[in-house]
Amino acid sequence: MSKFLDWLDDRSGIRGLVKEALYEKVPGGARWRYVWGSCLTFAFFTQVVTGTLLWMSYSPSAQTAWESVYFIQYEIWGGWFLRGVHHYMAQAMIVLLVLHLMQVMIDGAYRAPRELNFWFGIALMGVTLALSLTGYLLPWDQKGFWATAVATNLIAEVPLVGPMLQKIVVGGVEYGHQTITRFFALHAGILPAALIGLVVGHIYLFRKHGIHVKEPRPKKDSYFWPDQILKDGVACLAVLMAVVILTLYFKGAPLGPPADPSNEFPARPEWYFLFLFQLLKYVPAFWGAVIIPIALGLLIFIQPFIGSSNKGHQFNIGFWWCLLAGSAGLTFLAFSEDRENLNHGAAVREADWQAARVVEIAQENGIPPAGAVTLLRQDRENRGRRIFASQCSSCHRYNGHDGRGYLVEDAQSAPELAGFASVDWTTKLLNYDHYISSEYFGGTAFKEGTMAKKVLKKFDADETKLLPQVALLLSDLAELPYQEPLSVEKKESLLDIFYDDLACIDCHDIDSEGEGSAPDLTGYGSRKWMIDFINNPEHERFYGKKNDRMPAYGRDKKLSTEEIEIVVDWIRSTPADF
Amino acid sequence: MSDPKANKSLSDNSCSQGDKSRRLVIASTIGVSAACALFPFAAGLTSILDPVVRNSGSTTKVPWTKVTSVVNLPDDGKPAKFEIILAEVKDAWTTYKNVPAGAVYLSRKGDEVIAFNLKCPHLGCAVDYRSKTNDYFCPCHNSTFGLDGSVTDADSPSPRGLDTMHTKIEDEFVWIRFQQYRPNIADKIPLS
Repeated sequence: MSKFLDWLDDRSGIRGLVKEALYEKVPGGARWRYVWGSCLTFAFFTQVVTGTLLWMSYSPSAQTAWESVYFIQYEIWGGWFLRGVHHYMAQAMIVLLVLHLMQVMIDGAYRAPRELNFWFGIALMGVTLALSLTGYLLPWDQKGFWATAVATNLIAEVPLVGPMLQKIVVGGVEYGHQTITRFFALHAGILPAALIGLVVGHIYLFRKHGIHVKEPRPKKDSYFWPDQILKDGVACLAVLMAVVILTLYFKGAPLGPPADPSNEFPARPEWYFLFLFQLLKYVPAFWGAVIIPIALGLLIFIQPFIGSSNKGHQFNIGFWWCLLAGSAGLTFLAFSEDRENLNHGAAVREADWQAARVVEIAQENGIPPAGAVTLLRQDRENRGRRIFASQCSSCHRYNGHDGRGYLVEDAQSAPELAGFASVDWTTKLLNYDHYISSEYFGGTAFKEGTMAKKVLKKFDADETKLLPQVALLLSDLAELPYQEPLSVEKKESLLDIFYDDLACIDCHDIDSEGEGSAPDLTGYGSRKWMIDFINNPEHERFYGKKNDRMPAYGRDKKLSTEEIEIVVDWIRSTPADF
Repeated sequence: MSDPKANKSLSDNSCSQGDKSRRLVIASTIGVSAACALFPFAAGLTSILDPVVRNSGSTTKVPWTKVTSVVNLPDDGKPAKFEIILAEVKDAWTTYKNVPAGAVYLSRKGDEVIAFNLKCPHLGCAVDYRSKTNDYFCPCHNSTFGLDGSVTDADSPSPRGLDTMHTKIEDEFVWIRFQQYRPNIADKIPLS
């Protein structure tokens, strides 16, 4: 072995290299506070390796980016773990950057003769942030798409060349293939190359000037190997553990629904950019994206000179603490404003629902060449929710919301439709108190109608007891997919109640040619009944002239037949939540 | 370069013929190396700048796009949101047919339909119509706009009101010339 090493050393000088690398003197002994640079190098190494492995399955284009990330996340063996590690290590890098920077500032290691290295460090921070910004878009999900649109709109704020620069980065006017290919080239090529170059310079300069240690030295001088390396290794292991725990806890990185410019999503950047996001609520974008960053950048640039005096050094440390505290404060504000905003919560839940739904469809039917975004656009369940939200929810509700989880500001003026025609729903319908409540007809003219005032209210105790039986009958007519049908005998006995005991037939027809004054209940709540009803509630089979504001969606061409079928199927598909 | 003698010989004005030719050699070396090193970057410069010179065609002629039936717009001016499905959208090498490309808020008073692009003129988030306050609100940076699209709150970061687009009613349908505009400037300039 030693002969081989002699041979190798003779040809390569490797012993000298290793010695040079390992036997760096650590004045004052190995310390925990020196571990951050090594942790960052380790984190970057992890990102290069995991990123390259992800690259093997990633396909950058508007039709394949989300789809290939979906494949990594849900199909490739252990792909979710690989992606999770890459995602959370990126976040860990930001935390480590701050720790490294603050250690350098507090120890005064940024001052002469280390100015140049300080600037290298700041440049490295910028490149790391750029890596994280470009990486956010690559899955091409709603979150990345809308947030990065905001970020690239900020580029246009650069004086004179801004709009041109924006076009170069976006690869055109609108977001598309060229945005992904350019962001990917930046993320996996240009920025890592810049980072490697800067790291080499950073480490070279660090070695040239050695570790900066405060006098008096806490301990005896020692060497990088093995004392400091052990500490560095333990710290790297801790970072690794944190990343693995986060990955396992959150089951990998999140993947939102595929990007869709026609499907809005409240853009939010990754948590470490939230302070900038929040700042833009208070200051014009030109200030937030150009003036303030340039001013801060310039100040940071001259900090090594400011720090040459003791007071200047104190100022510098104070400056960074203030910057950190300010950022933390703005981040907190951004989080708390979103938490208090019910609509934002609903938008996030809606996006989560869409993300889960599109994965469900993709796993069931696969993804067509046009991309996953078409899966959601064509999905009848998704369309049903959307049609309900846009057409029905200003009067009706679905589980108390608009069908997609958003609260509706207008007062409810028509019945709750979650679980429409189910046993629970019809039982309540035939209860006078429920009937006249806003949950059913409280907001309509029917509150004062014959059914309320002259029928339900007038029933005696014995008759009222029979109403749930009628509800059972009506619900059975609906043939809901989630309810068991009644036996023929049971149905006949219930029909007796309908015809004879309560004489509902006096106004409502079932399977007869009569001309009752109230809605025909033949096939009540069934798919056909609902479609016909929504098509034209003013038809004499239904409300006729008594109709109170319910639009004739089909007759007046407000919805196509297909759209009516979709919303009906959606309402009928699941029972109510409450 | 750290050798003082070498520095001196380089900066010496009364240099010999040999020095001159040596300078020429050095200058040529630097020139040739720089040309070789820069060549790959120069070769790719045009393709990087392509988006700047490429005309996306959006300013030449914006086609009319059918949005919805007029009956879907209440005539009391209450806004409703609609997807815009464009007949053709080109994205680099892909041409999409009948693809949702954005959304608008439409409101109608009689025969007049006002259309607002859903995108906030601040930084491009999607604005919401709030029926309670009867205004538009951007959930990103809290810009607010009145029903006529104008900025209502002096603290709104948006530099201009919501972007209107040309509309017409034909054959009982609302048609629109759908366009995107440059964000975050006071003037409304179409993206192109």
